[in-house]
Amino acid sequence: MLFLHETHKVIGRHASAFEDLFRDEWMGALARGEGARLLWYLNHAMGSGPSYQVVTITAVSDGAAWEALARRTLAGDLSELASKLDSCRYESDGKILAPVYWSELQEVDLAEMPVDGREHELSVYMQDTGWPDAPLDDYIGLWDHDYWQFMRRTPPEKRLLDIQACFQVAHGSGTRPEAILMQKIMSLAALGGLLTSVEEYDPDTWPGSYMAKGLELRDQWESKLLRTSSWSPLW
Amino acid sequence: MLAPRRVVVPVPRPASEPAPGTFERGLVLFIHEVHKVVGKSAARFEDAYRGGWMPTLAKGSDARLLWYFDLAHGSGLAYRVVTVTAVEDGASWARLAERLAGGDLQSWARHLDGLQHESHGRIMTPLDWSPSIGALGDIPGDPAVHEPTIYMEDTMWPYPGKVGEYIERSGDVYRRSLGAEGSRMHMSIELSMQAMPGAGRYPEVTLLQKLSALPPLIHLLTNDIPPEVTGPGSWMHQALELRDQWRSKLLRTAVWSPLQ
Repeated sequence: MLFLHETHKVIGRHASAFEDLFRDEWMGALARGEGARLLWYLNHAMGSGPSYQVVTITAVSDGAAWEALARRTLAGDLSELASKLDSCRYESDGKILAPVYWSELQEVDLAEMPVDGREHELSVYMQDTGWPDAPLDDYIGLWDHDYWQFMRRTPPEKRLLDIQACFQVAHGSGTRPEAILMQKIMSLAALGGLLTSVEEYDPDTWPGSYMAKGLELRDQWESKLLRTSSWSPLW
Repeated sequence: MLAPRRVVVPVPRPASEPAPGTFERGLVLFIHEVHKVVGKSAARFEDAYRGGWMPTLAKGSDARLLWYFDLAHGSGLAYRVVTVTAVEDGASWARLAERLAGGDLQSWARHLDGLQHESHGRIMTPLDWSPSIGALGDIPGDPAVHEPTIYMEDTMWPYPGKVGEYIERSGDVYRRSLGAEGSRMHMSIELSMQAMPGAGRYPEVTLLQKLSALPPLIHLLTNDIPPEVTGPGSWMHQALELRDQWRSKLLRTAVWSPLQ
């Protein structure tokens, strides 16, 4: 299974129209085919980065399904709707992601994904994108052994984050080396602590050991705080 | 000072070749990558493509390396390589991606990680009016050494909602003007493509244009563009309704690049 990750630079005065199109038309239109479903619709939280940016993640069953979706968008039954979306955004940046070997999210039952816009509470994700200066495989391995494994052992009530998926960019569709963590924020109080405290990491205890070891492989990453819409299929 | 290089005059396509916009086996996709190469490892990076990627792909039917370009020093960023690899379709691309992520090409990808700072890729589909590259099986996996050729690669970002009209008009007006008698640039479009949704920046259109002579390029670089080229009625003028942002790169083929 593959995951289309798109960052939409939305025209501010058309932000509501863009979201309405995605919820009321695009999500359902995708579902007319068998190979693709919208998973997440996320607004980049204002106050934490660029304005009017939306991130969407769409699951496609395989490479052929992605191509079919792309061709429907360019010149098929989705092209008119895509033109409407185009008129509401300056541009979009897309990449195709593949789950790494240890990601809990590997497959999605597309038929089970809601497409009716049912509403729910909001949730916030921390999406981390990292660019190692070491071989990509080593970085993905570090995240496995020194990040995910430790997080798993942390009692749920003490967790800041729940790692729901980890991806690498499928060849030729974006940046290499790059890997992405989709992490649901479990405690807003802990997030507040992270944002406001000056942490001095002890290199002999976690997370200090991870921070120290991580510098051997990378020192560049970007965190985005993304808030699901009230109707995002996953949240 | 960089030594001037001789530019090869392209050979016209035989009449038997496919008409523009048609492809031998469906619509081939193009993986376009810009590599930020480690300067000290530039030669080894090139070797990895020449001795690894190109012949490995040639053993199967899913994919072929088409072009290996160096961004001409003196015209932009240093140590940038552009590669264009064709894949038969989306399923072929996915198989190739799996080989790189965890299959027989994983070690090659790991080796390349040490030779480049990063690469930026996008997957593109040919425009309806694009010339064809022919059948993938006919692309040489062990090409003869040849003189380098200079390309001007133009990438455009049409205004919101204007990409369809831009593609149509660029085919009707711009492409025809390049081919017209008395054309200033002595340049031919070898491939025109747009980013596939979800696999690059959208909307984005790229033209790969081969130069058949250097003097017109030097003239373009060293003279103001005359009013008859930019004034009302001209393509430059009309196209401003559709886009005003683009980037040109001057790319030189490697002497072993399968296409030149």
